[in-house]
Amino acid sequence: MSDGYGLLKGKKGIIFGALDERSIAWRIALACKREGADFVLSNAPVALRLGALDALGEETGAPIIPCDVTKDDEIEDLMNQTKEHLGGVDFILHAIGMSPNVRKKKEYTDLNYNWLQQTLDISAISLHRVLHHAEKMDVLNDGGSIVALSYIGAQRIFSKYSDMNDAKALLESIARNYGSRLAKRGIRVNTVSQAPTKTSAGTGIKGFDGMYTFADMIAPMGNPSADECADYCVTLFSDLTRKVTMQNLYHDGGFVNSGISEEMINDLAKIYADKDDE
Amino acid sequence: MSQDVESKVKAIIVDKLGVDESEVVAEANFTNDLGADSLDTVELIMEFEKEFDLSIPDEDAENIATVGDAVTYLTGKLS
Repeated sequence: MSDGYGLLKGKKGIIFGALDERSIAWRIALACKREGADFVLSNAPVALRLGALDALGEETGAPIIPCDVTKDDEIEDLMNQTKEHLGGVDFILHAIGMSPNVRKKKEYTDLNYNWLQQTLDISAISLHRVLHHAEKMDVLNDGGSIVALSYIGAQRIFSKYSDMNDAKALLESIARNYGSRLAKRGIRVNTVSQAPTKTSAGTGIKGFDGMYTFADMIAPMGNPSADECADYCVTLFSDLTRKVTMQNLYHDGGFVNSGISEEMINDLAKIYADKDDE
Repeated sequence: MSQDVESKVKAIIVDKLGVDESEVVAEANFTNDLGADSLDTVELIMEFEKEFDLSIPDEDAENIATVGDAVTYLTGKLS
């Protein structure tokens, strides 16, 4: 396993969104390298300054290209630089999400609408922008694969996830919509709905620990790790999944189809029995 | 000069942190008083760099914790 399977030998890609070694995108970059891929790494200038992407660049031999994915000229510049480094690309990972409203603990019923626009622009519309420029600038190779990381908040409301629930719903819709357009070239577009993961971004959400534990207790297999998500994404970038497209794929240990676990039933029964006694 | 720096610094803080101008006093700590998270503090430093056309090394940025710290540091750099 540590040597990989050579699933991405000769493939080239763009990996957006790694901040530090806990980031899912960071783990995906390492897994892609293990499987033989070459890629460029990108993140917003502020994230580059905050995080530790230089270390990942050194470890994987990947150039780092700063890019604010809400700005068309910066994406064009990124695509030009990617072409210079790699030529065309076979895969793109979109692991980008940020909500000022969540960060500032704004209640959903009292959103700052400028911040909501930023949430949607950064976390969802950026997928459209990236695909638009990649296609128009002829950076995307036929038979390629695009993966964007999502969360089940797109389908079920998790109150603390606030406007990110909406952003992920839009992200998944854009993936389907664009996927239908790129299908004629054999290019797949999917979202991976990953369980709560202890990353720097995730743990910044108020109530994250509760959401993590809740999912972990309900999912029959428990929450999958970032490294396990990385292995899954590798299969989606590989040629083994070349007709999987326009899907939202749950990578959650079975959470999406589970109601409640025995352990939780027993725990809840105890908690509420105590309450009845009060 | 100092007043000019102060008003620009305050305007950036109000815009970036979404706080009321009345909260942006010299002793206000970005994290503890104005609710800034780690991303905000880096964004603020980068906005200061852009506004005043200078670069703030990380080791200096670490010592800028309050509104007053920012005004004093930037005034010193610009004088």
